[in-house]
Amino acid sequence: MNPKRAKLLPLALLAVVLAIPVFVHVPYYLHICFMIFLFATMGMGWNLIGGYGAQLSLGHSVFFAIGAYTSVLFVVYKSLTPLVGGLVGMALAVVASVIIGLPCFRLLGPYFALATIASGEITRTLLLHFKDFTAGANGVPIPFHGTNPLFLQFNSKAPYYYLALAMLVVVASIMRLMEKAKIGRYLAAIREDQQAAESLGVKSSQIKMIAFMLSAAIVAACGALYAFTVGYIDPDSVASVNLSIEIAVVVIVGGIGTLWGPVLGAAVVVLLTELTNMFLGGLRGGANLVLYGTLLIVVILLKPEGLISFFNKFRPKQGVDKTQIAHGTHA
Amino acid sequence: MNPTIFLQTTLNGLMTGGVYALVAVGLTLIFGVMKIVNFAQGEFVMLAMYVSWMLATFAHIGPYPGLLIVGAVMFGLGYAAFKFLIVRVIGKPDEAFILLTLGLSIVLQNLVLVIFGAEYFSIDTPIKDEAFHMGGLSLSVPRLIAFLVALLMVAGLSILLNRTDLGRAMRATAESREVATLLGINPIRCFTIAFAVGIVLAGAAGVLLTPMFYVFPGVGTLFNLTAFVVVVLGGMGSVTGALLGGLIIGIVEALSSTYISLDLSQLFTFLIFLAVLFIRPSGLFGGAAK
Repeated sequence: MNPKRAKLLPLALLAVVLAIPVFVHVPYYLHICFMIFLFATMGMGWNLIGGYGAQLSLGHSVFFAIGAYTSVLFVVYKSLTPLVGGLVGMALAVVASVIIGLPCFRLLGPYFALATIASGEITRTLLLHFKDFTAGANGVPIPFHGTNPLFLQFNSKAPYYYLALAMLVVVASIMRLMEKAKIGRYLAAIREDQQAAESLGVKSSQIKMIAFMLSAAIVAACGALYAFTVGYIDPDSVASVNLSIEIAVVVIVGGIGTLWGPVLGAAVVVLLTELTNMFLGGLRGGANLVLYGTLLIVVILLKPEGLISFFNKFRPKQGVDKTQIAHGTHA
Repeated sequence: MNPTIFLQTTLNGLMTGGVYALVAVGLTLIFGVMKIVNFAQGEFVMLAMYVSWMLATFAHIGPYPGLLIVGAVMFGLGYAAFKFLIVRVIGKPDEAFILLTLGLSIVLQNLVLVIFGAEYFSIDTPIKDEAFHMGGLSLSVPRLIAFLVALLMVAGLSILLNRTDLGRAMRATAESREVATLLGINPIRCFTIAFAVGIVLAGAAGVLLTPMFYVFPGVGTLFNLTAFVVVVLGGMGSVTGALLGGLIIGIVEALSSTYISLDLSQLFTFLIFLAVLFIRPSGLFGGAAK
């Protein structure tokens, strides 16, 4: 693929997805697209710490749950628009990310992953316990305010579709800018070799923390949008370990540490899940997750750099001269 | 505070702790030798529960007589999992192993869901409801058996690791793969045996759990997280640590659900877990006894 075409491809893709709701009106199909955009956005957020920061987080449901519950509870108790409640949720998620990140970044390898799982389970347990405030396992239905954009309540799926798409485009642009900015280069250096980066003066814990905070804010925003699209939240749907795992899997399947990996991964994982539900749904629950788990295993064993590497193969890596690799002089 | 309730709660916690220790011992063996966390350990417990349930239902072989058969099946499964999957990520970053075993746990859990459905099964054995009574306290027989077997297994594993050539080879591999190789030890063979034995231990836990727990596809996840907590608390890789860690977590859970709140008992488990990770990542008993 030549560089010019590589730049045009995302724009062409964007034009296509912008036009979809004009021709497709089946709510279910639009919802599938919504979920793809949502997971792609969350995947990009996760990638900041899991991919670029090389810290395998399995606790991002914490931020999703904070975003979802804060925005919904503000509507329930204070009739405050989720446009504000969502921002408060994002701020709280950033606070949570500092509380989790400060002690956890000292942990390496499996310990970090285990500690983030524990954070997620603590959040879920608390949501279940404080029933008077969160309604516990019963979950919270969002009070109906009529078709009211201020309360993110619409009479069709299309507005949610466009909101999720807008979020994806905004987050993708931030990622693109970051990759070129200093912080992106620092993160890349930490990913390659943390000790070497630190010896060159990169404050790795500080950089990781910034990445983690941003990551938390993005996922919290997704949680709020999800809540108002589905109209109901409970601890099992927004605060489960499985959600944390799915956010990570989307990125790993697509391509960890890459800009477009999460988008490809979200498309593959969400479509795979929904298509198996559609064709094998009558069979028994579980078939979709068998495929999903198998996909994860196959990618780890055969394509650890993710499915996106099938596309990148045609394009020489920027800044690396192939002859250097051939001669082994590339550091 | 009623002393009988306190004693009964502690006793229950101790017995549950034995079960936790049983699940955790296999996990800690795999970690101790291979330095990797098997995220699918709980799913192997679940598989053993299904095998044990099938033996009891279709062949009328009770869980305790069936222990050997289940053990053999689990050894085969563990060996196959190692040969086809695990061996391919040895030497790769931790993340690859975590994600591979996560994928395996998702596949196993849902494969069982597809085959057996989401029903809750249980086995009928007369021993299920039997209990010893003593001065107002009662002690359920299946729990006592599980507890005693847990003690036996920890003792057996300690002997295997400390007193046999195979155990010494495993510990040498755990210390340094390179040096072990120079000494003529085949590290991959050690890894294979450690992994398969770890899965057999998960299987034994599953068998002993069948008389007291329902058998359903998600039952493994109940034990997965607790087993991680126990293993970290006891010191990753420490067999006696896993036993003590299991007992501590069992008692903490029992006391907090009796005296504080049933649905918060897990919270305390996880808080202890995080506290140990942050303050003493080598575990309470790490480095002491292997």
